[in-house]
Amino acid sequence: MMNRGYYALVMVLAIPAFVWMVPTLWMLSLSFQPNDVLARTTSSTALGLIPIPFTVENFADLFAFGSTPKWFLNSIIVALGMTFGVLAVSSTAGYAMARLDFPFKKTIIAVCLIGLMIPEQAVFIPLYTMFADLGWHNSYHALILPRMAVPVGVFLMMQFFKGISNDIEEAARLEGVGWLQIYWYVMLPLARPAMMTLAILTFLYAWNDYLWPLVSAQKPEFFTITLGLASIQSNFAQSEGLGRVMASGVIASLPVVGLFLIFQRYVVRAMSVGGSKG
Amino acid sequence: MQSAQKLTPKRLTQRQAAAVLLAPFLVIYAVFLVYPFFRGIWISLHDWNLLAVAFNPDAKEYVGLKNYNRVMWGKNITWSVFHNPIWQVGGACSAALAIWAGSTHRISKTMARFIAIVAIGVVIAMGFYPDEGGRWYDRRFWPTVANTIMFVAITVPSVTGIALVLAAALNRETRAMAVLRTLFFLSNVLSVTVVTLIWQIMFSPRQGLIANVTDVLGGSPIVWLTDAQFAMAAIVITTVWWSIGIAMMLFLAGMQDISADLYEAGALDNATGAKAFWYITLPNLKRTITLVVVLQIILHFQVFGQVHLMTNGGPNDTTQVLVRYIYQTAFRDSELGRAAAMAVFLFVIMGGFSALQFLLGREDAE
Repeated sequence: MMNRGYYALVMVLAIPAFVWMVPTLWMLSLSFQPNDVLARTTSSTALGLIPIPFTVENFADLFAFGSTPKWFLNSIIVALGMTFGVLAVSSTAGYAMARLDFPFKKTIIAVCLIGLMIPEQAVFIPLYTMFADLGWHNSYHALILPRMAVPVGVFLMMQFFKGISNDIEEAARLEGVGWLQIYWYVMLPLARPAMMTLAILTFLYAWNDYLWPLVSAQKPEFFTITLGLASIQSNFAQSEGLGRVMASGVIASLPVVGLFLIFQRYVVRAMSVGGSKG
Repeated sequence: MQSAQKLTPKRLTQRQAAAVLLAPFLVIYAVFLVYPFFRGIWISLHDWNLLAVAFNPDAKEYVGLKNYNRVMWGKNITWSVFHNPIWQVGGACSAALAIWAGSTHRISKTMARFIAIVAIGVVIAMGFYPDEGGRWYDRRFWPTVANTIMFVAITVPSVTGIALVLAAALNRETRAMAVLRTLFFLSNVLSVTVVTLIWQIMFSPRQGLIANVTDVLGGSPIVWLTDAQFAMAAIVITTVWWSIGIAMMLFLAGMQDISADLYEAGALDNATGAKAFWYITLPNLKRTITLVVVLQIILHFQVFGQVHLMTNGGPNDTTQVLVRYIYQTAFRDSELGRAAAMAVFLFVIMGGFSALQFLLGREDAE
């Protein structure tokens, strides 16, 4: 397999892979160049792909002024809150649907399955009016709650719990262990890989979601970084300077890119599960 | 903890435990997904001005299906068999072809039925037009739907084709290939606003990398985002760049399931490289390809951010898409009733594809 043809293939593929990386690298490079240079030209060195002249001023400025740190923090709060919320309701409901017997089980599962077909875009207007009536807009829970209702996590957990053998559960039952204890002490530790996949799916979704935050968070104090970045990019050249906006973009991408590089397998699996919902 | 357990030695029955475990999700599901869904339909039946109702909850008025009429219909709309002959004859032929392919088991029954229904839908829809003196009540709605469909029709085959070729080329378990896969996938985890931030400046005629390259080559820069000819192309390029990774990974996963024996047997018949791809990989990957295509249709039909941030739907509405039109109708024009009617339309279309995805998945399981 390791013949000349293989090396030729790698070389040939490296070219499109590099081209694919160029836009991202360009953002990274621009974020390290001084704004006054960028105002004149974006192609100082190697079409601007190498940050010479070099500066870290853009990042320093971001943390000194502007709302980027606040938005970043908002994103962290919303993403973590949503992740824990989704994990809690999905693992409990998924366990019950997979392993417990209760009345109307089939009906309840079918009703939840139908929910997979409802896209965010079909409910964002009524959700807006509901949250407006409750006075809930511009809050963290407004950004978190709607996603907790999406049943994709429940089905992910249900599939996983269905695959666990009965032996452990039966042994625990004979010992007189209650159902809730079995869920907590036996099932949850076993479900770590599925929970991890669901956690990453949810975190990525929360971090990158745009439409619902755009509708719900009108006050800049409650912008997520994704939304905040949208608000500064329409007038980037005039107000903030290209380098600083690019630095915001780099900061906004760090958590998801980091997550991807560390947990690549889980991220790919999560996004495959997410599919249309992710 | 210990003492509390001693005080309540009686365990929950299975039903009680199920109720406790199911309740949190079911309540949230009912309140934040099921109820809003029906409330959306209810809003679509009202003349509902966002601001007026915000000040006075009784300012809405029940109008039945008037919003649907206002959005999708017009004055003096007539229908003829040959208004759009290419589309209508093409649709009829596709329907016939799908039924034939389904009955001879070239494609699955579900797929055949679905294509036939869509094709007949095209035959019917393309026949409507406003007669003399007539007009559509909403001149922007159908062009917006057409733009959305066109966006999907260009993006999905592009992503699928490129991702397939990449997956076939990268389907080797070596370090170098893993690195290359990572590079192609990376853009997929970025948020839509980072993606548009990058590409807005990439496409800028003054500062953009693309303009800088054409400058070096001695060409004149294209004004991508404000030129009616190129704006949609720019959105498609951005989207393809953004979303190729996950399609590639799904294809790679599907390729792992193709037995190595097939390739060994193929190699004996001189089927390697491109030949092996055509005669062995593609036929065995049919199911994965179908699912990836359906998944992407659902995903890209919801396109919003790229258009909203890069072109604002312009120039002259050439990149206006359905979700952005819904957003604008609701939050700029305050016409919640009409926007909700459009959202129901969106749901019906996407629901159709979701149902197809579900049925195909069940077919696979059998």
